[in-house]
Amino acid sequence: MLVNLLSRAIMMSTPLLFGAISEVFSERTGMMVTAIEGIFLMGAWAGFTTAYISGSLAMGLLFASFAGLLVAMLYAYLCVTLKQHQIVTGTAINILVAGLCAFLHRVVFGVPLSPLTVEPLQKIALPLLSKIPFLGPIFFNQNILTYIMYILVPLGFFIMYKTSLGLVVRSTGENPEAVDVSGINVSKVRFVTVMVSGLMCGVAGAFYSIGYLGMFTTNIIGGRGWIAFAICFLGNWNPIGAFIGTIIFGLAEAFAILMQSGASTFLPNELFIALPYILTIVLTISRKSFNVPAKLGTAYIKEN
Amino acid sequence: MDKPFFELKGISKYFAKVIANKDVSFSVNRGEVLALLGENGAGKSTCMKILYGLYGADEGEIYKNGEQIIIKSPKDAMKHKISMIQQHFSLVSAHTVTENIILGNIKGKINWAYEEQKIQDLANKYELKVDAQKKIKDLTVGEQQKVEILKALYLEANLLIMDEPTAVLTPQEIDNLMKFVKDYSKQGNAVIFITHKLKEVMSVANRIIVMRSGMVYGNVKKDKTDEYQLSKMMIEGSFEQVERDDSLNYSDEICLSIKNMSLKSKSGIPVINDVSFDIHKGEIFGVAGVSGNGQLELCMSICGAMKPDEGFVLLNDVDITNYSIKERIALGLGYVPSDRHRYGMVMSMTLAENILLKTSYSKYWKKHGLIDRKKLNDKTNKILTNFNVKAPGPASLAQELSGGNQQKVIVGREVENCGDFIIFDQPTRGLDLGAINNVHSSILNEKENEKAVMLVSTELSEIFALCDRVAIFYKGEIQGIYKTSDLDSEKIGLLMAGYKKQGDK
Amino acid sequence: MDKKTRDILITSFLAVIMGLFLSGIMILFLGKNPISVFALLFSSMFRDGYTIGEIFVKATPLIFTSLAFAFTFKASLFNIGAQGQFYIGALTAASISLLIPHPIAIVLAIIFSFLFSGIWGGLIGFFKSRFKANEFLISMMSTYVALNFMNYLLRTVLIESKGEYPQTDSLAKSTWLFKIVPHTRLHFGFILAIVVAILIWLLLYRTTLGFRIRAVGQNQEAARMSGVNPELVFIFAFFVSGGLAGLAGVTEVNGVQHMLLQGFNPSIGAIGIGIAILANANPIGIIFASILFGALQVGGTIMGQISGVPSSIIDLMEGFVMVFVIISYFVRNKLEVNREKKLLLEGDK
Repeated sequence: MLVNLLSRAIMMSTPLLFGAISEVFSERTGMMVTAIEGIFLMGAWAGFTTAYISGSLAMGLLFASFAGLLVAMLYAYLCVTLKQHQIVTGTAINILVAGLCAFLHRVVFGVPLSPLTVEPLQKIALPLLSKIPFLGPIFFNQNILTYIMYILVPLGFFIMYKTSLGLVVRSTGENPEAVDVSGINVSKVRFVTVMVSGLMCGVAGAFYSIGYLGMFTTNIIGGRGWIAFAICFLGNWNPIGAFIGTIIFGLAEAFAILMQSGASTFLPNELFIALPYILTIVLTISRKSFNVPAKLGTAYIKEN
Repeated sequence: MDKPFFELKGISKYFAKVIANKDVSFSVNRGEVLALLGENGAGKSTCMKILYGLYGADEGEIYKNGEQIIIKSPKDAMKHKISMIQQHFSLVSAHTVTENIILGNIKGKINWAYEEQKIQDLANKYELKVDAQKKIKDLTVGEQQKVEILKALYLEANLLIMDEPTAVLTPQEIDNLMKFVKDYSKQGNAVIFITHKLKEVMSVANRIIVMRSGMVYGNVKKDKTDEYQLSKMMIEGSFEQVERDDSLNYSDEICLSIKNMSLKSKSGIPVINDVSFDIHKGEIFGVAGVSGNGQLELCMSICGAMKPDEGFVLLNDVDITNYSIKERIALGLGYVPSDRHRYGMVMSMTLAENILLKTSYSKYWKKHGLIDRKKLNDKTNKILTNFNVKAPGPASLAQELSGGNQQKVIVGREVENCGDFIIFDQPTRGLDLGAINNVHSSILNEKENEKAVMLVSTELSEIFALCDRVAIFYKGEIQGIYKTSDLDSEKIGLLMAGYKKQGDK
Repeated sequence: MDKKTRDILITSFLAVIMGLFLSGIMILFLGKNPISVFALLFSSMFRDGYTIGEIFVKATPLIFTSLAFAFTFKASLFNIGAQGQFYIGALTAASISLLIPHPIAIVLAIIFSFLFSGIWGGLIGFFKSRFKANEFLISMMSTYVALNFMNYLLRTVLIESKGEYPQTDSLAKSTWLFKIVPHTRLHFGFILAIVVAILIWLLLYRTTLGFRIRAVGQNQEAARMSGVNPELVFIFAFFVSGGLAGLAGVTEVNGVQHMLLQGFNPSIGAIGIGIAILANANPIGIIFASILFGALQVGGTIMGQISGVPSSIIDLMEGFVMVFVIISYFVRNKLEVNREKKLLLEGDK
């Protein structure tokens, strides 16, 4: 039972981590990707539709990341190039994507008589490693995206603190003028980072439709893009912190699913569904943000 | 003929509200220290930002060694070995010295130990006392400037542009900087030095360019001119310097009293240390010192924005130490803050709304629960007229006014609102001479009206012109309180740098 | 009319046109003729008195949720939780109306819905004041919590007597908001919405309290230095904002549905944000923009029934319009700067 729960937790952490780490990098440059929920949704839809039509999950994931990239580019254009308000723009894009996905789903599939499904990502048991008692089935019997997640965490940490790219990213959010004066194009740094966010969040969204559920509904994301967004805050804008936050939420979500599937009649279902959101609120209140990038959320405007 | 090292030809730059540069042309040679002199708003920073690629010129060209070069970004400028140290340092305060210096100058994986050593060696070589591992926010302003210089040296710059570098230094640090500038130029490099301080120009520059209203008005060698001639070139038209009537003294009645005030920063460093002084009715009391020695915190503590750890603030013998900002305003405590954009005005609101800002709780403005707009507009118009503000009317936005006019509005508001006591914190910083004059008149007017005035300023000329007595602040402590007539700039300079004369108080 | 107002009206109008235009292109993907679809859309909106009434019925809750977002926006705060606050208000209204089947319930519903959803929203302001918590995140999450809370209550305590579906019994007729136009569904709630919008406008622009809220929104530090307490403003702004969204709960429960069920009006919170942005957070502008969006919704539903174009085209249109409104901010700003530069150069000659 415990193994099941923990294995589930790792699995449900995967999209959250993809989202949270990409958000960490973007926010470190000063950009809050407030369109994250929309990017997740776009990825979920594009991934499902491509996978259904082509029969290939790999194609699905590929197109999901492209779709996420496109939405992110719209956000980046409005907020980095046109220097518009990040929260207002993100909200607009989320509404737009919600309408777009519902509409496109209709256009492509009409009104199907029964829900359309694809076979979701299969678990791949790693040879030898998955045989380790207790830890094996939890960590090494997962799908490919989760294995990629294992690499992303140390990679993210390495890039952030041990490379010039990381130094530039961190400096841009703290003092874009210092970066500008050093000869680096601030807009380029922000635009590219947001684009990478789009790629990763597109895949994250697709996880829900083709990596786990095997189908698409318009409220499939249900606020989990926002949880990834919150994890960036709660993880103190640090890849390792994001990983820890993600595990906590993955656990909460796995726990909730377990409880809902009949294991408990004591407490209402709705409480477990609401658990991740309540947890976010509690943690947001209690965490003292030490590492907020100084210029987070503000556009970099030079000439007056 | 020797071609000049760098040359600007016909540079013009237009912003939305002002012509910043008009047909600016001058050059700088190798081994030369060139001073760019002019009062605030003359356009000095703008043309240098164009040379460094931060702004794009609307007209004109740049030449190096006689050949035209294109500078579209700081990257291009750095390729031509130009470095610029701005007035507000371009440093990431949360990062270390090393992280700041290698930013933009390194690719790929970073070996932190190696880089730190490299920077430390460079610092030691030039005798710049800086610790490569320290975070910028833990350094003093003087040390931060050294980091900026170190970055320029790291980039092997041949032309160093410095924008008002001495504004935040003690007299001793200024001497060190001048020594560095001389040594650096002797090695065949060029330095362009933006300033509005005549004394510094005469002490270190080889040649001087005088700018005024965006244009070049003078281009002279140092030994062919003097301070008087330079100031004539700097100033537009003639103006009457405000005369202080020395015969007007101040009353014995104490208005504001500060007793043993102490305030520690979050990290435990004393920002204000056992400060005591009294200000009398009808007195202009100066607070002198290099900025950053506790003056801002003192102002904030008096007006209620900060709470001192120890000590008392008494206004007309009433202990207001625990009063809120709102209560102190109601008691008639006026404050013209040093940073008007941040603390003084809401730039996106109208002038009338800004006049309302300080007194919005007062019943005076209310008519049947709503704002009495006629009353407010009348009051605003009155202030605009009395304080010589150039503005279309009460409905114009604060951000549409020039800096000088904005400041006049704030001065007018505070003067009209204040009861017995008013603080002026760096009231003329960044203003043109006409506005400076206006503000000085207002301050002297308050003295005549028997108000108690506290004037915080880093400009010694202002202190000498206006103040009856002056307290010199250094590292949060008062070095001494003197009658202005008992001081001269040399003595005040020493006190500002922390030298306490024996037996003085 | 001065240049700035003219700019705002023109660019807002263009934004709506561009939004419609892009939606038209999307319609092409369906293999349908956009022009005939739009013609059908607009003609169907006004086809009879009942339908016209529906426009204002749909606009009513939107006015409240957009006012909710706009009010906190004036203080530079972001209340993304209007949907959840709406649910709390709806719960309150339904509960009171079920308990007290008498017209007095309407008055009580208005008062207590405002109060409870105001407290629900005000909590967010409190967390921001006390803990410097990010109100954007918390308000976002609070909607999901409120939704689940409502679903739980509908399944248990408030469930209908039949016990079959997670919804309440129908409310007694005496608790229904009275109709103001016969043969339509248009009810008193619309009048209430207009009155409230005007009151909010008065509050924001004609009282010293509203002035302080706006000052905090535009320069918090200068406001603090002027004796204002920003932390109190945060709490007050979120309280009023939450209360406004809660009033939408009264109009929908007592005026339209006459019961409470799951999954109704699922996106009035989000659309409210879009309306507030389109109307530049001006309460009077919000009235008109809400009517516009209400009309789009009505037309869209009918169009969906008749022509086979899915009604989600409306959500798409709204999204496009919002994006173009944002672009219009940029365009307006650029026009302003260029205009000033030109004046400057001319003056120099």
